Amino acid sequence: MEVNKLKEVKLFLGPQHPGMHGNYSVHMYVDGDIIKKARPMPGMLHRGFEKLMERKLWMSNMAIIPRICVIEPDINEMVYAMGVEALAGVEVPEKATWIRMMILEMARVATHLFALGGIGGPTGLYTSMYWAVAERDLILDLFEKLTGARVYHIFIVPGGVRKDLPEGFKTQLGTYLESLEKKLPEYQELLLKHPIIHTRSKDNILLPAEVVHELGVTGIGMRSATGKAYDLRKVKPYAFYDQVEFEVPTATYSDALTRIHLKFQEIQQSIRILKQIIEKMPDEGPVKAPIGTGNALKLRVPAGMVYTAVESTRGEYGYFIVSNGKEKPYRIAVRGASYPQGLLGIERYLPGHRIDDAPLWMDTMGVCSPEIDR
Amino acid sequence: MKQEKSMLSPLKAWKYLVKEPVTVSKKDIFVKPREAADRYRGFHVNEHDKCTGCGTCSEICPTDAINMIVLPDQPFVDGKKNERPAFDYGRCSFCGLCVDICTGDSLHMTKEYVHITPDVNQMYFMPDELGIHQKKFENGWLRDEVSELLDLERYEMKHEGVSRKSSFIEIVKGFSYEMALAESSRCVECGVCTQTCPAQMNIPEYIRTVYDGDLKKGIEWIYKTNPLANVCGRICTHKCESACVISNRGDAVAIRWLKRYIVDNTPMDQYEAGALAYVTEKTNGKVAIVGSGPSGLSCAYYLSTLGYEVDVYEKNALPGGVIRYGGPEYRLPEESVKKDILMIENAGVNFICNTELGKDISLETLEEKYDSVFLGIGFSYSRPLPIPGSDNHEVKFAIEFLGQARDYNRGLRAIPDISDEVIVIGGGNVAFDVARTLIRLQEEKYGKSSVAMAALEHREILPADLEEIEEGEEEGLKYSFGYGPQAIKVEDGIIKGLHVKKVLSIFDGEGRFNPSYDEEDQKIIPAKQVYIAIGQMANFDFFNEEMKNNIEFFRGKVKVNDNGQFDHYPWLFAGGDIVRGPDIINGVATGHDAAKAIDAYIRSK
Amino acid sequence: MMNSMNNLKEQLKAHYKIAAFEEPTKMQLAFNVEPDKTLDVLAYLKSIGYGQLSLLTCIDWIEIEEFQLVYILFNWDNGIHLLVRTSIDRNNPKFRTIEHIYPGVKYYERDVHEFFGVEFEGNEDSYKHLFLELWEADCPLKKDFDPLEFSTNRYGNRKYETNFPRKVGGE
Repeated sequence: MEVNKLKEVKLFLGPQHPGMHGNYSVHMYVDGDIIKKARPMPGMLHRGFEKLMERKLWMSNMAIIPRICVIEPDINEMVYAMGVEALAGVEVPEKATWIRMMILEMARVATHLFALGGIGGPTGLYTSMYWAVAERDLILDLFEKLTGARVYHIFIVPGGVRKDLPEGFKTQLGTYLESLEKKLPEYQELLLKHPIIHTRSKDNILLPAEVVHELGVTGIGMRSATGKAYDLRKVKPYAFYDQVEFEVPTATYSDALTRIHLKFQEIQQSIRILKQIIEKMPDEGPVKAPIGTGNALKLRVPAGMVYTAVESTRGEYGYFIVSNGKEKPYRIAVRGASYPQGLLGIERYLPGHRIDDAPLWMDTMGVCSPEIDR
Repeated sequence: MKQEKSMLSPLKAWKYLVKEPVTVSKKDIFVKPREAADRYRGFHVNEHDKCTGCGTCSEICPTDAINMIVLPDQPFVDGKKNERPAFDYGRCSFCGLCVDICTGDSLHMTKEYVHITPDVNQMYFMPDELGIHQKKFENGWLRDEVSELLDLERYEMKHEGVSRKSSFIEIVKGFSYEMALAESSRCVECGVCTQTCPAQMNIPEYIRTVYDGDLKKGIEWIYKTNPLANVCGRICTHKCESACVISNRGDAVAIRWLKRYIVDNTPMDQYEAGALAYVTEKTNGKVAIVGSGPSGLSCAYYLSTLGYEVDVYEKNALPGGVIRYGGPEYRLPEESVKKDILMIENAGVNFICNTELGKDISLETLEEKYDSVFLGIGFSYSRPLPIPGSDNHEVKFAIEFLGQARDYNRGLRAIPDISDEVIVIGGGNVAFDVARTLIRLQEEKYGKSSVAMAALEHREILPADLEEIEEGEEEGLKYSFGYGPQAIKVEDGIIKGLHVKKVLSIFDGEGRFNPSYDEEDQKIIPAKQVYIAIGQMANFDFFNEEMKNNIEFFRGKVKVNDNGQFDHYPWLFAGGDIVRGPDIINGVATGHDAAKAIDAYIRSK
Repeated sequence: MMNSMNNLKEQLKAHYKIAAFEEPTKMQLAFNVEPDKTLDVLAYLKSIGYGQLSLLTCIDWIEIEEFQLVYILFNWDNGIHLLVRTSIDRNNPKFRTIEHIYPGVKYYERDVHEFFGVEFEGNEDSYKHLFLELWEADCPLKKDFDPLEFSTNRYGNRKYETNFPRKVGGE
């Protein structure tokens, strides 16, 4: 893109900017308020997790990995556990699998709510942010009851989950889902029909199908552009996703508003899945299977390498795990779902947008900086 | 996709203007904080008297937030270290793995979650029962059987079936590779066992070699502190296992059987290389060792690693003392004894058998010929039981009998003279060795067995190991525990039985040995022979009068300093039974200590 | 699904003489490719539906002095993940870019270059720092880089105040 040298201004967006989406930085060369060139500057949240994991015990890593994606930590626990189980050849007990699915769907709702709220920042619609964050907090209350922690649950472990459900949990979750369902129409009124949202997001921040393929975008970005139900829960069902009924919302024209709509519809589908989980989960049964013998300090995972992936709110989220049969992993590589859009996407397709659309671009494209930085 | 737009719809949010907020008001955050959930992973509490100081929490901690702090004014207790965990809450990730793996069931998490300070040093705490703020909070995250991170159940080895009582085949089969690997994976490597083991064996280190499959290294670790690897792998009193922190909530790690696995499964060339890794040239002097039991053997081996020429004097025909003539074949096969002694011989130790101190050679001669002398004579005589009838020729003694039985097993003599109905007096492991050896010999000689046992102690407080009591019962021993022997009933010089009375108490009000009996409950247990196994003692006749005056004796033992050295006779050392009482691993330990002290003594001359 | 997996194996065997396959988990296939054939294989796989490069990463097999590059591909229509692996010399870590096949690989190659030091010829940005601005030490994900040593040298060890007011058993 031609940049007029005289008018060009270099603008640093983030990492410490109230309008920025996450601890991320983009160096933008702007002409007026139009971005002419963009350089993603990740690394603000680089904590060396991949190296760290090679130096910690298989079990100790459980406490580290949720931090790779802050808002949706459970997917980390799940893919890690799935990988270890695949290497060790361990079957997860039925009830544990249902509990895991429950956690994943609760996290999906919470994360989508957070993202919907996040639109409030760049658009100036702060009510939606307050609402969504307060709503998410109620899910965190449930997580606290179930796992003992609000954000980093550290609950899904290789072999199953750490504890059985607390008493009355299914009822509490059911009650919450009812209340959330009642509240959803209000979000529709406030957010989806809001004229500001429409003005800012309709026909803005387009993501054509060929860009999806070029970058390798997955998740809502991909589904909103291609019209195909490319969701790992359908394409390659893990846990018991083949035993519950749900639809994967898709579209064939991907602007920011469409993607916001898809997020909203996914919340509705997750509620549908959660209700089925409550119904189908057995009351009794083991929730953890042993991985090998011995204590957690001596846990060894058979040598081998495996890639496991789940559908996160931003797309395919995977771990590539290599074991050499010792007490610590030999190598773990994390496939953050926002890698394609968060790096190459910003470099190639953020230019052309207005400065104030940059955070909106990142929110609706699904860019989560900690999972890029690792 | 339908994407409605409405100018009015956002106004509906106005209805919340008059509603109660769902959020917590700011002033309440500190004044009355919201109560956390029942499983909340908040700040820790640690019940300090239950905490074993094992440090397993610190090992599992993903963020290195837990440091073990030594509390030097804490007394030393078996099974506990004088360390307690301190938490750096600037690092802690509140994962709760420390709680799930706590061996002592002392560490929990609470619902407490508020702690604010601008000072990084104020984030470091050693929580006790009242947590970090000395304020009682409800428990939060607790370990349960699902979140458990230890492996509490022992992987059991196979035992010979019931047919075992007719043979002297070793009862306990060794671990298979898989079993040993599984058992070794239960160890948390805290080292509490090392602290308790009289020989301070490097137990976590050699268990690790099983887990890593490097058995030669395991042999090296074992021989660093114990040259009787085969013997101790089978019949050690395993004080380490009663100290094992896993035993607080589950079965102790089978330390003894893992040691046995190492010695049984290391190929002979690697075994020898490991066992003799530290043996050096003999240039530093000459030492005489009297008695070739565990302490003598241990002292001899370590002296040879320190560069001394060693002669071991043994009164019997074969070296080994209690391990050669004491332990029964079904527990301690001859092969194991031979292998241990072979290694010590290969280390350059010279054995002079059939030579008894005080009879064939005098202590004075030894003093003259050698730079130093070590006494490891052991308790090699049975303690007599002065009751009517005990002078009968059919009254036998444990030590002599076990020696005869071993020699018979070795094919060196005919079957001992046993009758078809016998009683054993005593309730220790030796008494069980006698009784169970008798059963086997009776089965062989008569095709049936009848062995009764009587002891002062009731079954619950019997000094013998539980497994001895249980296995003996399976083999058909008839127990009369809690019955004190009064007299041996003899008619025309032939024993008819043992007269016993029910014991009410063994010690009197002042703690002295003075049994009282229930006169109403007496019986005569029929028997044709009586075996006495109520204890052993040493014979100190070889000391001359001057020495007897200068040496302090107490309870059949001699007083020496911590290194086994006699106060008046710096050239003379002692170890084993006559220093610490009968116990093989204590023998090994005192022998090793004495070897180091002898080295220091000779170097200082 | 089984069919497409077997089909694929036969195709790879016929075209590229790849015979050894592993199936680390269901619907996943792993195999090694000679370095000089890797680009052809990847281009072929893309043409038959493996349109997504999920991940490019590297493993440091320091003992045999090799870097193993792992290209993880995915076919959204049949749900099969492929782990295409190739080994390069650890002491001369050079490979060619696959940007022309999977444009999305651009930043993964920068990532691998930054953490392992592998140069991807043809990717003009690959030598630039991505996460580790102003980093001067060795590539951190190499097995011979010790982060603890690095940070101790750089920042020193934290000293703890160990005089705790309370002893075992409370006050």
